[in-house]
Amino acid sequence: MNIEEVIEKLKKSLGDALLNYEIREYEMGIRRKRKLYEVWAEIDRSAFRKAVETIFSLDYPHLHLISGEDNGGDSIKMIYSFGVFYSNPWGEISITLKFDLPKDSLILPTITDLMPGAETNEREIREMLGIEFEGLKNKRHLFLPDDWPEGKYPWRRDEYGVEDMIKHTHKSVREIRKKGEGNA
Amino acid sequence: MPKTAYYIPIGPIHPALKEPIRVEAEVEGEKIVRVDVKRGFAHRGIEYMGMKRNAIQTLYLSERICGICSISHPYAFVVTAEKALGIEAPPRAQYIRPIIAELERIHSHILWLGVIAHEMGFDSLLFWTWKGREKVLDLLELLTGNRINYSVYMIGGVRRDLKESHIKAIKDAITYYWKFTEQMKEIILSDPVYKARTRGVAQLSKEMALKLNVVGPVARAAGIRMDIRQDMPYDAYADIDVRAVVPQDIVGEAKGDAYDITMVRIYEIEQSLDIIEYCVDNLPEGKILAIPNYPALLAKIRRTKGEAIGAHEAPRGEVVHYLKFDGRDGPSVWKVIAPSYNNINSWAPLLLGAEVADIPIVVAYIDPCMCCNDRVALLKTPEGKVLGYEYIHKKAVEKTKKIEKEVRG
Repeated sequence: MNIEEVIEKLKKSLGDALLNYEIREYEMGIRRKRKLYEVWAEIDRSAFRKAVETIFSLDYPHLHLISGEDNGGDSIKMIYSFGVFYSNPWGEISITLKFDLPKDSLILPTITDLMPGAETNEREIREMLGIEFEGLKNKRHLFLPDDWPEGKYPWRRDEYGVEDMIKHTHKSVREIRKKGEGNA
Repeated sequence: MPKTAYYIPIGPIHPALKEPIRVEAEVEGEKIVRVDVKRGFAHRGIEYMGMKRNAIQTLYLSERICGICSISHPYAFVVTAEKALGIEAPPRAQYIRPIIAELERIHSHILWLGVIAHEMGFDSLLFWTWKGREKVLDLLELLTGNRINYSVYMIGGVRRDLKESHIKAIKDAITYYWKFTEQMKEIILSDPVYKARTRGVAQLSKEMALKLNVVGPVARAAGIRMDIRQDMPYDAYADIDVRAVVPQDIVGEAKGDAYDITMVRIYEIEQSLDIIEYCVDNLPEGKILAIPNYPALLAKIRRTKGEAIGAHEAPRGEVVHYLKFDGRDGPSVWKVIAPSYNNINSWAPLLLGAEVADIPIVVAYIDPCMCCNDRVALLKTPEGKVLGYEYIHKKAVEKTKKIEKEVRG
C-alpha cells in the first residue's frame, strides 16, 4: 500500500473528521537518492478512536510515541505517532495524528485493548499532563513517586503545573548564573 | 502441607542491578506467580530542562540521557532537528556519523554479552568480553576525545573530521573485531553450557513482541524484521541497504529466547563492521558542517518554525525524538522515547511462570537502561560542583593529544 492509498483509507473512514493532512517527503541517501514519506493528520478529537482503528486495519502498527503539548491555553495538543509497513526496506510509513483536547474534558479512550504495550505511554501522559484514559486498567504512577500531590502535572504550563515545586530545573542556566544562585 | 507464597523484592538498589529499578516477585516454590515492576527512581525530567535551553545545549543534554551509548540520543536529536529545520548535513558528515554510531553498537553489544554472562555466573566470559571491548573504547576516544559523551554530533553535521591516522586506526580495529567476533561465536554460541542456560529462557513470541511494542534486538530475536536503518534509512545507511538481523536468516527459525538475542547481537557486530568498512572506504570529501557558525545556526533555528519526529536505531533498539521549534533558539516541545521504555514491558509477562534462577537472565536479556528510561542528566564533582564546559573541554583536548601521540608512536 502506498502513501496515497493510506490517505484514501483515512479519508474514507474519518470523513469530515479528518480536518487536514500533509504528506511529508524526505529525500535520503548520498549516492542513491530515495524518498521516505510521513503523514501528518489533524483530526477531530471525536474521531480519535476511529482513526486509530483505521491504522490498525492497515497493518499492525508500531507505536512510536504519544506526546502532548500544553501551551498554557485552553486545550492540550495531543500527538500520536504510529509506524506502519515496517519490516520492509524503505517501506515504513509514519502516521502522526494530532488533535486538540479541551482542558475542561481531558478524557481519551485507551488504546491498550488494541496494543497492550501502549500502557507505558498512556500512564506517562496521564501523570504528566492529567489526561484520563477510559479503559486503562493500570493507573499507577509510572515515573512520579506514589505520594505525588494530586492535581499537579509536570508538563502543564497552567496553574496545574509544578513551578512552585522545583527549585532549578525550570530556569535557564543564564538565569541561574545572573542571580548568583550557584550551579543547578 | 499447604503451599506458602514468598515475596522477593529485588531493587531498587541491588548488586545485580546497575541502576535503580524494582522487581517484586511472589514465588511458590521455585515458580514466580505474581510480578510487579516499578520504575522511575531516577527520573529528572530532562525534556523539561531541554525546553529551557537553546538547541545546541539541548543536543549535548540529550547525550547525557544514556550512560552507556551516549551517541544514540544525540543522533536521534540531530536527525529530528534537521528534519524540522530543513537542514541537510554535508555528505562527509553523513558518512562520519554512522561510523561513530556503529562503533558504539560494537561496544554496547560486547558490554551486554559480558553482562549476561555475569548474570549467569560466567565471570571469566565477562572479563574476556570486556577486555575485547577496550579496543573500541580506545578508538572512540581517539576519534572523539572521550570514552563516553563524545560531543561529536552537531545539527547539520559533525564537529570533528576523520584524519588519515584515524582511518588507519579504524581499519586496524575492524580487522581485530572480525577475529574477535569469530571467537565469540566459537566461545559463546557453540558452548553447550551457555546454550543450556539460555535456550527457552525469556522466550518471547512474535505475536507477543508486536503487542508489547518491543524494539531492537528483542523484537528482532522474536522474528520481527524491524530496524530503523532498514525501514526509514538516514545518512549513509540510505546508501548501504542495511537488512535487519533476524534468527530465521541465521538458523532457520526464531525462538525469541535469550540465546536468539545473543546470536542477533553477535551477528549485528559483524553487520556494524561491514557498515564501518563501507563508510570508511567511500568517505566523501568536503566540509563537515552545514552551518559552521553556531550563532548563525541559532539564528536559523529562531527563524524556522517546524516540528518533526525522528529516530535512530540505537544498539538496544529505536530511539524516537519529537521536536517542535516555534521562534525560540531552543525546542518548545521535546519528547524522548528510549528502547528500554518499551522493552521493560516484556519483563512482567516473561517472569510470570518462570523460575527464580531465571530472574537475572530475564532482567538482563533486554539490556535495560534505566537512565534512558528515566532520562537522567547532570554531572557533578564530589564537592557538588557542576563540571563546566571549559573544564571538560580542556581535559578532552589534553587526553586526545596524549592518545594521538601514542598512536603515532
